[in-house]
Amino acid sequence: MSAPTLPAINSRPPGDLAIWFVIFAELLTFGIFFLSYGFTRAHNVALFDASQQLLDRRTGAINTVLLITSSYFVVRAVAAVKADDSRAAAHWLFAAMGLGAGFILLKLNEFAHGYAAGITLSTNTFYMFYLSLTVFHFLHVVVGLLVLGIIAQKAWTGGYSAAEHTGVETGATYWHMVDMVWIVLFPLVYVIH
Amino acid sequence: MQYQSQAVAKPYFIAAIGLFVGQILFGLIMGLQYVVGDFLFPAIPFNVARMVHTNLLIVWLLFGFMGAAYYMVPEESETELYSPKLAWILFWVFLVAGALTVVGYLMVPYAKLAEMTGNDLLPTMGREFLEQPLITKVGIVVVALAFLFNISMTVLKGRKTSVTMVLLLGLWGLAVFFLFSFYNPSNLVLDKFYWWWVVHLWVEGVWELILGALLAFVLIKVTGVDREVIEKWLYVIIAMTLVTGVIGTGHHYFWIGTPGYWQWWGSIFSAMEPIPFFMMTVFAFNMVNRRRRDHPNKVATLWALGTGVMAFLGAGVWGFLHTLAPVNYYTHGSQITAAHGHMAFYGAYVMVVLTLISYAMPLLRGRQANSNKAQVVEMWGFWLMTVSMVFITLFLTAAGILQVWLQRVSTTPMPFMQAQDQVAIFYWARELTGVVFLIGLIAYVVSFFVRGETKATAT
Amino acid sequence: MSESFTKSTARNIFWGAGVFSFLLFLALTFDTTAALPKRDNRQNLTPEVVRGKHIWEVNNCIGCHTLLGEGAYFAPELGNVYKRRGPDFIKGWMKAMPTGAPGRRQMPQFNLNEQQLTDLVAFLKYASEINTENWPPNIEG
Repeated sequence: MSAPTLPAINSRPPGDLAIWFVIFAELLTFGIFFLSYGFTRAHNVALFDASQQLLDRRTGAINTVLLITSSYFVVRAVAAVKADDSRAAAHWLFAAMGLGAGFILLKLNEFAHGYAAGITLSTNTFYMFYLSLTVFHFLHVVVGLLVLGIIAQKAWTGGYSAAEHTGVETGATYWHMVDMVWIVLFPLVYVIH
Repeated sequence: MQYQSQAVAKPYFIAAIGLFVGQILFGLIMGLQYVVGDFLFPAIPFNVARMVHTNLLIVWLLFGFMGAAYYMVPEESETELYSPKLAWILFWVFLVAGALTVVGYLMVPYAKLAEMTGNDLLPTMGREFLEQPLITKVGIVVVALAFLFNISMTVLKGRKTSVTMVLLLGLWGLAVFFLFSFYNPSNLVLDKFYWWWVVHLWVEGVWELILGALLAFVLIKVTGVDREVIEKWLYVIIAMTLVTGVIGTGHHYFWIGTPGYWQWWGSIFSAMEPIPFFMMTVFAFNMVNRRRRDHPNKVATLWALGTGVMAFLGAGVWGFLHTLAPVNYYTHGSQITAAHGHMAFYGAYVMVVLTLISYAMPLLRGRQANSNKAQVVEMWGFWLMTVSMVFITLFLTAAGILQVWLQRVSTTPMPFMQAQDQVAIFYWARELTGVVFLIGLIAYVVSFFVRGETKATAT
Repeated sequence: MSESFTKSTARNIFWGAGVFSFLLFLALTFDTTAALPKRDNRQNLTPEVVRGKHIWEVNNCIGCHTLLGEGAYFAPELGNVYKRRGPDFIKGWMKAMPTGAPGRRQMPQFNLNEQQLTDLVAFLKYASEINTENWPPNIEG
């Protein structure tokens, strides 16, 4: 008599393996940047505290809510496609993109204010980190929106199914990473003093 | 070989190896001048020997890349080369132009050469690695564009594989970035900023795409591993190359007058530049382990694996050692730089070209692989050159550490020449090791002439 | 196993990441270009200095020396030689080469006239005043 078989454990992370190389590289880059920020701050506390005061924390908090909620919508989208409801998945993805667009707009406004005030990468070390981190992250949100857009469009036209939806998981993973980076960035750069 | 026109690769490979020998001879001259300062002065001053050494390196590698492309592309595209005749013409043009340029360096004082070759029309001479007269530079562009035309037309009329697409992207990138060698502003900071758009974006950018394509091609052939597997890993590797290397250009922007934020951006991104090299090594070893056939060309497999390891060590590890700004502040422009430069160039580019030649040359000569005897001699060449290069690097690293300590770190800094005297022992050791390298190169060349029972005639 | 690691995804990532990297690099280049005027001493980029840079190039000084740490490692760093030695020493040195000392590294005689020497010194002075973030660490280069 054969032994009872256990359900297969999926030892692969969700989505295409290739995106996990991206995740690795991104987290490494942002991680080193964050550590560099922390290290530099420890040697320039007064400067960092003073410059940080001029940042808009309220909008930053709103942005945090926007991103976390959009990630939730992306989770719902993945669940929908797993239940073979490609249309619903597309709706959830469009909603997530909407919130992401909100983030983009608020950020552009923030950058516009900074630019008008003459803040550049060379203004001081705090602003160098602030601009580097937020602009770098901002660009990733833009890429994330493009990715969500591509998979949303494909979901809308029924391109995914319960059996084959690796693309959705791949894009979702990327978006979650972008969200996660912000969750560290916001308190680190905007709040902690 | 599968397509008649692949034969056009042969002269390119022969020229490459010939120029390689020339490069090493001039390297030995320079190495001796480091310790016997007036050796061959004033007939061949150090700077002349140096420009011959570096320019020969670049030209022979270019011959190697072009030969590799002429060999790979017809086979990958499953069609004959668009114009073998053009390839032959370009071969002679490039060889003669290169030879005349080197003769010019040796026979004519540089300032006179500049005057004679129209440098006053558009001054592009006098920068490191870009010492070529204007006409030579224009010649390089013409040859490169015609070569790219030939190769691209071949790909267009045939099968498009990932290997050829990556190779083409790398080669076109090489040509495009070379154009920056014509931009030489009077503003020294701008001059240096854009100079690196040729040098860094070549060797830590598009050349890595060429390296990846060549390595992938050889691995597909010798291991028999499914092309899809090898090609998808190639894309991941070159993605990491660009992601780390493009912004990584900033590690050349620490101390040349550009803003201080490059010390952060350049350090962080260039610190990750070893990653694609690490991946290439794992990739090569993995594919060989997972091989589905035992290809008779053992030495080509050895070169392929060796390329991964030495590129990772020379470009990756040694590069990392001095890439962080706080370290680089002290080591910038020292023997540490020379140590890294030698092992990086050898490990990445010399070795990948020799890998391709090792794989292709037997086939071009009508057999799958050389005889055991010949392969053994070639392996001797591999080990002698590779091990001696490791020691050259170690000796220069030691010289560099001591130099940096005495001249830069110490609270009573020593003048440059005095510090050079202190590290002379390492220069002697390097020179002796350089002679061993030459012996290895001679063994390598000899291997082409060793007979013995050859492996099954090639299809 | 392999269906969730496809070549097409890897290729898309390559293109996306590659284009992204170049665009970001261009953005930083743009910022650097805007920031340079305050750092690169261009206010002292006189016709004299321009001629001096030309002399530096056509005599291939970079073939033995480093300038702001870049070049060859046979002879001293010259980015700060103006501060280390001064204009008169530099001119005298150029006129006195080669030393002919047996076994010592030799520098050629470039036969520069008085104007050319003045131009070259002007170039080296200009180079020494560029904001290199406090590099080199000391006067020896």
